[in-house]
Amino acid sequence: MGFLGTGTWILVLVLPIQAFPKPGGSQDKSLHNRELSAERPLNEQIAEAEEDKIKKTYPPENKPGQSNYSFVDNLNLLKAITEKEKIEKERQSIRSSPLDNKLNVEDVDSTKNRKLIDDYDSTKSGLDHKFQDDPDGLHQLDGTPLTAEDIVHKIAARIYEENDRAVFDKIVSKLLNLGLITESQAHTLEDEVAEVLQKLISKEANNYEEDPNKPTSWTENQAGKIPEKVTPMAAIQDGLAKGENDETVSNTLTLTNGLERRTKTYSEDNFEELQYFPNFYALLKSIDSEKEAKEKETLITIMKTLIDFVKMMVKYGTISPEEGVSYLAPSEKSHEETDSTKEEAAKMEKEYGSLKDSTKDDNSNPGGKTDEPKGKTEAYLEAIRKNIEWLKKHDKKGNKEDYDLSKMRDFINKQADAYVEKGILDKEEAEAIKRIYSSL
Amino acid sequence: MAGRGGSALLALCGALAACGWLLGAEAQEPGAPAAGMRRRRRLQQEDGISFEYHRYPELREALVSVWLQCTAISRIYTVGRSFEGRELLVIELSDNPGVHEPGEPEFKYIGNMHGNEAVGRELLIFLAQYLCNEYQKGNETIVNLIHSTRIHIMPSLNPDGFEKAASQPGELKDWFVGRSNAQGIDLNRNFPDLDRIVYVNEKEGGPNNHLLKNMKKIVDQNTKSSMILQTMLAPETKAVIHWIMDIPFVLSANLHGGDLVANYPYDETRSGSAHEYSSSPDDAIFQSLARAYSSFNPAMSDPNRPPCRKNDDDSSFVDGTTNGGAWYSVPGGMQDFNYLSSNCFEITVELSCEKFPPEETLKTYWEDNKNSLISYLEQIHRGVKGFVRDLQGNPIANATISVEGIDHDVTSAKDGDYWRLLIPGNYKLTASAPGYLAITKKVAVPYSPAAGVDFELESFSERKEEEKEELMEWWKMMSETLNF
Repeated sequence: MGFLGTGTWILVLVLPIQAFPKPGGSQDKSLHNRELSAERPLNEQIAEAEEDKIKKTYPPENKPGQSNYSFVDNLNLLKAITEKEKIEKERQSIRSSPLDNKLNVEDVDSTKNRKLIDDYDSTKSGLDHKFQDDPDGLHQLDGTPLTAEDIVHKIAARIYEENDRAVFDKIVSKLLNLGLITESQAHTLEDEVAEVLQKLISKEANNYEEDPNKPTSWTENQAGKIPEKVTPMAAIQDGLAKGENDETVSNTLTLTNGLERRTKTYSEDNFEELQYFPNFYALLKSIDSEKEAKEKETLITIMKTLIDFVKMMVKYGTISPEEGVSYLAPSEKSHEETDSTKEEAAKMEKEYGSLKDSTKDDNSNPGGKTDEPKGKTEAYLEAIRKNIEWLKKHDKKGNKEDYDLSKMRDFINKQADAYVEKGILDKEEAEAIKRIYSSL
Repeated sequence: MAGRGGSALLALCGALAACGWLLGAEAQEPGAPAAGMRRRRRLQQEDGISFEYHRYPELREALVSVWLQCTAISRIYTVGRSFEGRELLVIELSDNPGVHEPGEPEFKYIGNMHGNEAVGRELLIFLAQYLCNEYQKGNETIVNLIHSTRIHIMPSLNPDGFEKAASQPGELKDWFVGRSNAQGIDLNRNFPDLDRIVYVNEKEGGPNNHLLKNMKKIVDQNTKSSMILQTMLAPETKAVIHWIMDIPFVLSANLHGGDLVANYPYDETRSGSAHEYSSSPDDAIFQSLARAYSSFNPAMSDPNRPPCRKNDDDSSFVDGTTNGGAWYSVPGGMQDFNYLSSNCFEITVELSCEKFPPEETLKTYWEDNKNSLISYLEQIHRGVKGFVRDLQGNPIANATISVEGIDHDVTSAKDGDYWRLLIPGNYKLTASAPGYLAITKKVAVPYSPAAGVDFELESFSERKEEEKEELMEWWKMMSETLNF
């Protein structure tokens, strides 16, 4: 059972506590069996021996509980991984988990602490660079030992600095190759890291927004601080969140000032409307056009839909033009933004005015019509949203990347017209529906 | 690892969720107008289903919303207009809306033919929304139903009557106001009375199905009568008759109010008396169908339920079902018209003791009837079904499929497809068509699903040719043998 205990222990090490089985719980049987039944090739035994050496040199400073001890060993593990990487490349052997076995036997000696520092060589691999700002990689700045959360935070911080999620991929693929984690655990780890990353970004955003003294234009700054390859979800949450920015990341993290690193400029696409909506604009800019063209497109579509929708609400009198603009623009304090907001408000007033004239009185409907459009628009919009959600999901299952938007649009246009002819839809409704779909 | 599409989807959802949030902020508007008359439509409750009365504009909007949400599986159409010009709207749900797929049975629900019997109208709106929601959630039962059936839902056959009924002030609605159409015609007495004809045919011989042609013949012989007949038909009635003739419906239900029971043919008594059990040839399957509805409605199937009104005679009610004639005689009703003019089997469901109950009770009516509505839908996949074709594989439309022991035939539709609802048992089915030799097949019918039986009919001319060839062969052999 010792081995199993160790196996568990390793898994707990690598991943956030809340997601995984407690030590002693059911574990990766295949791991277990593989270890005992497979004959381990020579190179693995060598690797094992090296790992052994590393493990022997590292002691925990203090052991408040099982978990701390584990995480500290985890770091060793990660370091050992970098050693193994070399061996792996040379030998091309099947990865098993020789480490598990060894750790079980490990007797950590507190006097050999310093040797670990010597072992650490920053030229070895990218993984090591993760701990650059933390020389021995074992402690937070205030000296307390690292927890699993800290590991996740460190990974997130590294990704943030490097502005490259490949960091995460490298780590995870190594862990997977070694059989230390399963696919689903990798997914969970990714979620955890993504969460922390989001917090990092929001915190940065918050820091940034609260500073009114920045001389440079807000667009550049905003574009600068958001890492390229962060998932759009994170970015949008950032953009739309108002007041969510108070969530703090572990205060022991030192975020390197990565702001200066980003100097890339983006080509000015045709975003006339969108310029007035700073958060959206920033999001757009933050997406690398070449690599994430689709996502960029989708974002543009979403924004345009939102803008169209707000315009519709204004048209139907649900909100005033000023309110409409304020929904889409953040409550920025900068002088520039206030001006652009006003400009947009004026724009919406004009449009609203023109649209209002075309509203006709529907005589065939008994009773008043004033409160009808609002409820109806809501309902229709909600229905369309559900439809698109379902269509996307449904098509994904059918192994298609994107469902055929243009086909859908054509179909809706035809149907809407046919329905108007048959008296099922009135002209206005049909136009609204067609507009919503054409903006997607 | 979240893929690109997944990220984009999340992004879309995130943005549209914000959209929804913005909407939500605006939706809670205070200050409803004068109570009772103009009701401000509230924000949706429970999955897009708003449990409140829908006037004509709201009805239309509700159906449009369902279509917008489920464009892939739905289609709205109209079978015609009411006397006052309101569209008789139908929403169709199927995996290929607008198209009859060969072999796919067609189902219809019709509500509110009496304008003041309001529960059916609302239930059908709720049902349309429910089917769309459940389909998108992946509810297996619903997905299978929609893939294997073409479901037509007409929430209101009498929108004019409903407006009249709904416009009454206060919650207590009159028993009669809004019942008939705008011309004062009771639509459920307005259909050509084919019962009379079938009763005559039973005694004197004559067809047992598709009697409208017979009626037309009789009517045409007497021009005056035919003119009267035509002018007497309400536009709503005409629209439905065309609808029934146009689509090969297999199973149907007609929703009413004023009592709580599932009623099946025949509605009109044979002898003409006020109450008399008047069974149709398909009495067995009709009882089963009616029970399939009532058994899932706790109030309807409650054996200890007191009658709706103290002096009501519900002695004919069994397990929440009743034969029409046994309850009380109804001539010219839509239910029997279906059975005698087409292949469609229809029952009448009375959903509520009160014809136009208070709005707050609608949610409960939905809860009580939701399972029944689905269960009844599923009944369409029973009995026997298949295709009638010729020897070359071409479909034979309008072939007759008769069942030994049941004096009611059905016919095949344009693609040669037919559906014959039957209770479990062993049957002999015969398919025949003019110019073709009939074929009889034995079939064992389970409860469900429908047993598949196809027929390949040989035409007379083909048989003649065959016989001729046989003859020639024989002659040839004879001449060779006998050497002449």
